[in-house]
Amino acid sequence: MTAPNHRWRQFKNGLMQTVMLVCAVLAILPLVLVFYYLVDKGFSSLNWAFFTKLPAGPGETGGGMANAIVGTFVLLMLAPLVGVPVGVLGGVFLSEYGGRRLNWWIRFSADILNGVPSIVWGVVVYGLLVVALPAPFRGTVQSVDVAKHLVTVQSRTGARREFAVDAETRLNLNGKIPLASLRPGTGVLIWYHNHQATRVADSISAPGLWSSVVAAIIQWHNAISGFSALAGGLALGLMMIPLVMRTTEEVLQLVPHGYREAALALGIAQWRTTVQIVMRTALKGIVTGILLALARVAGETAPLLFTALGNRLWAHLTQPTAAIPLQVYIYAISPYDDWHRQAWAGALVLLLLVLVINIGVRFLTRDRLRGKV
Amino acid sequence: MKQLMLSLLGGAALLAAQTGANAQTLINGAGSTFDYPAFAKWFAAYAKVDPGVQFNYQSIGSGGGQHLLLNRTVDFGASDAYMTDQAMAGAPGKILHVPVVCGGVAIAYNLPGVPHLKLDGRTLANIFLGKITKWNDPAIAGQNPGVQLPAMPIIPVHRTEGSGTTWIFTGYLSSISPEWKSQVGHSVSVNWPSGVGLGAKGSEGVAGQVRQLPGAICYVELAYAIQTHMSYAAMKNAAGRYTLPTLEAVSAALSTAHVPPDFRFEFPNPPGPKVYPICGVSWVLVYQHPDDAKRAKGLVKFLRWAVTDGQKITPSLDYAPLPPNVQKQILAELDTITY
Repeated sequence: MTAPNHRWRQFKNGLMQTVMLVCAVLAILPLVLVFYYLVDKGFSSLNWAFFTKLPAGPGETGGGMANAIVGTFVLLMLAPLVGVPVGVLGGVFLSEYGGRRLNWWIRFSADILNGVPSIVWGVVVYGLLVVALPAPFRGTVQSVDVAKHLVTVQSRTGARREFAVDAETRLNLNGKIPLASLRPGTGVLIWYHNHQATRVADSISAPGLWSSVVAAIIQWHNAISGFSALAGGLALGLMMIPLVMRTTEEVLQLVPHGYREAALALGIAQWRTTVQIVMRTALKGIVTGILLALARVAGETAPLLFTALGNRLWAHLTQPTAAIPLQVYIYAISPYDDWHRQAWAGALVLLLLVLVINIGVRFLTRDRLRGKV
Repeated sequence: MKQLMLSLLGGAALLAAQTGANAQTLINGAGSTFDYPAFAKWFAAYAKVDPGVQFNYQSIGSGGGQHLLLNRTVDFGASDAYMTDQAMAGAPGKILHVPVVCGGVAIAYNLPGVPHLKLDGRTLANIFLGKITKWNDPAIAGQNPGVQLPAMPIIPVHRTEGSGTTWIFTGYLSSISPEWKSQVGHSVSVNWPSGVGLGAKGSEGVAGQVRQLPGAICYVELAYAIQTHMSYAAMKNAAGRYTLPTLEAVSAALSTAHVPPDFRFEFPNPPGPKVYPICGVSWVLVYQHPDDAKRAKGLVKFLRWAVTDGQKITPSLDYAPLPPNVQKQILAELDTITY
């Protein structure tokens, strides 16, 4: 004897299960379609030239993405240099050290940073590492041409330079002095862009230690500033930090508390417990988190627009650099059929790269599930 | 752990290999998409003239080129709109305008079965103002007797980023249509009438968009229209004749222009029966006193070549060559660059 609403309940059960199944399929469908489409459109364009040749000019056929493929690998090597140490150590701090209130703020900030649009990271690094700072020049004034707004300065090493000092220039660091009152023989420190002085400080005697350090840092900064793989790697690395930090914290939390207590009870120092017991136990989880973060940033275009910029040639670390996502972006919006073809191929290569990373993650986590921790 | 060390070593080796990849001087430029086809040809040809330098040019739009030059993040900018005094006042050093190419802005369209089309400036303005919305509108049909125009909606496609091509195009329309001048104006990026058409990034993007959308129309540097086999309209010039942006028509337009000593000039809707009405010059923007002597030297040498020998190459892309007297003027300007 069944309950009177038995059929209705069975129907409801079946309906909800179907809805859930459809939703699950809908979630997978885009991946399947993307993959199908990419293989369909991109695979035929994958050839030897694609992996070995530099890009061809606009409207020309042929060429490849060799520099972009290498560029992406370089970026993916640079990014963890920034993202991993900060992310992992931050995660360790959150899990093993730190106070409750402080940790709440750190977690909160990391979560917000995770949600920051990736182009923002590009703009941040553009300001930090791409734009050159005004450079300092120290010396004594040789001559002042008030009419032409020119000041000639000779450094202690004998180098002579002429600087344009106009209305935009801040003369003297504390308040303005008129250009005419700048006398030959005065020691000055000039900050300049090109040959344009942006700040002139007069009455400067021997350089102090502090200002020498600042000058050295600026010189070093300006030597590496500009669009470069370094800037691109930094942008991607900054993006990785909150991702790695949160996953590291989570996997460390999974390590049973008893392990820590046992270690501490044996008289092992806390740092040693953390490094050799807790982190060692969770190592695979940490590496998994790092790889996932890497897979996430591998396909980013936006942070690279203002940092790596793109290049059609091979590049040094300090020069604008090509990357697969950038090249795909540029090619996809172009009007040229051959570039479209290569954009598909590039997207396929990028997807395969991310897939390889993800399979690596599966491989590591599978081991963990088997209880080999 | 061993594997990790191995992969790190491999990575370091790759980095080292890449760092040693080129010993040539790399000169970075960015900006105009209008120039890009010309630059691509020049860089390839110039590799034989001076193998010691390489060029990386990113076609991000004229506005972007000006901005990056002001931030000194590139060695040269390229723009088909000249910089205003106000824009240059904020620059760390004097900026020179070096005209490198002169080209026509083609009015390209995607209308199956209509390979030839005639338009006048007023109609074009009304299309981009959203007042003419169908291809078989009497204003268009009246100029094209005998052409079967479909009742298809017109989709005007414009540039979304700061663009010198937009500057030339809106300069032309402003000179023709008072309504355009007051409502939209003349700038590298304007407030497009809302709800009219689509935007796309770069000449490449605009051309790509129009190719894929039947009924679309855009303004784009001629080389893009030709390279992508799009049809483009014959435009009515000031003398009342319909002309295509051929080499002769663009050269004729350039010959009417008065070139000032600082090379900042434009010539919307110039007079003469043979001229194409929407033409403009594109400039390379450089600092008069750049910091990096090595790159500056390579760049000046290239520019001297581009405005002389280089002008023999660009006509194959339908850019009008600069007249000899202008070439001389430019060489004199390049001599003032010190580093």
